Amino acid sequence: MITNKTVIISCAGMGTRLGIGSTKALVDICGKPMIIRQLEMLDEVEDVRIVVGYQAQKVIDVAKEYRKDLTFCFNYNYKTTGTAASFSKALLCAKELVVSLDGDLLVNPQDMKAFIHDNEEKIGGCIPGTDDPVLMQLNEKKEVIAFSREKGDLEWTGLSQVRRERLTPDDRHLYFMLEPLLPLKTQFVRTREIDTYNDYEEAIAWFSRGCID
Amino acid sequence: MSDYIFLFDLDSTMTKKEILPEISVLIGREKEIRAVTESTMKGEIPFEESFLKRVKILSQISVKTVNKLVSEIPLNEEIVRFMMENHDRCYVVTGNLDIWISGLMNKLGMMDHCLCSTARDDNDTVGEVLTIRNKYATAKSFKEPLVVIGDGDNDSEMAAQATIAIGYGGVRPIAPSLLNVIDYAFYDEDKCAAFLRGLL
Repeated sequence: MITNKTVIISCAGMGTRLGIGSTKALVDICGKPMIIRQLEMLDEVEDVRIVVGYQAQKVIDVAKEYRKDLTFCFNYNYKTTGTAASFSKALLCAKELVVSLDGDLLVNPQDMKAFIHDNEEKIGGCIPGTDDPVLMQLNEKKEVIAFSREKGDLEWTGLSQVRRERLTPDDRHLYFMLEPLLPLKTQFVRTREIDTYNDYEEAIAWFSRGCID
Repeated sequence: MSDYIFLFDLDSTMTKKEILPEISVLIGREKEIRAVTESTMKGEIPFEESFLKRVKILSQISVKTVNKLVSEIPLNEEIVRFMMENHDRCYVVTGNLDIWISGLMNKLGMMDHCLCSTARDDNDTVGEVLTIRNKYATAKSFKEPLVVIGDGDNDSEMAAQATIAIGYGGVRPIAPSLLNVIDYAFYDEDKCAAFLRGLL
């Protein structure tokens, strides 16, 4: 059991771009809701927190059926705040290391296992591929030295692992909380983010073939 | 160390079973009590009206019998342990009657930190209900920052006064109105107690 870290899954948003009238945490991924696919990868982590907002009751009902010992954190301002607000809400009494995971991200299970099994501070990156990416500029040591909306070597996946004591709560995008902590090591992770229906179809195909690119 | 004062609902937050339905088993009126309790939890009947209705149904039972039964009701032990270990900063806030719950409160050493409704004991039967605990007013009366832990509709206004409001759904579902004002929800008492310890 991993006891020195808190994993925070941010599921508060409405996911309107997906256009299926449901929060992305509940979309079906080959027979199971997205949130269950994520929780299955986190069985070894003692402290898992889910930030809920839109359709909170439904997300809670599904998640606690899988695992009762979850902490649910509420972000009622999900319409007007960024991912940092949800993440910050879940920081109270968190463990020494904190891992961020967006509720719309499918991760290759082996890559996720590698990510949560070491204790270094780091950021998860992938090949740029989404419509509106947060890019990361790297130095020669492959450390992230800047986030950018225009240029970068890798796309930020939303995954990060940093020490709790170094984080300052914010309500904008989560990368604003990480920026003061740069440079940070990168870890390459195979992922699919679901924003649009096209993303969803592509993610299902990717998941069906074993989360391999 | 924080300045938080912790206010706990009794029924299904401290206890593993709902108290009034348990009492009603003694006279075979469980269904009736459960129906009123459910409606109250959902906010369909005002708490005061429902509470007096339930007291009336149960008032034919000996006060001593009820007090003994309540004192033996299974508890959420980790949550209760937190309260006992931090007695000075913890209060029980409940609509339940003093003459019914005094045995349990004494057993836990919480009688002096129990804010509840009161009734007269008339020869071992429930006499006049003297006061009905208003949880909102109770929470308002504290000057310190509050952590409130509950599960029912009548905990909502108390929770809205809290700096940190927690729903505990380990025994029965957290009432929808409470779900709209809480900051955190737990369905596992160990996890809930560990979180509370982090707030000390």
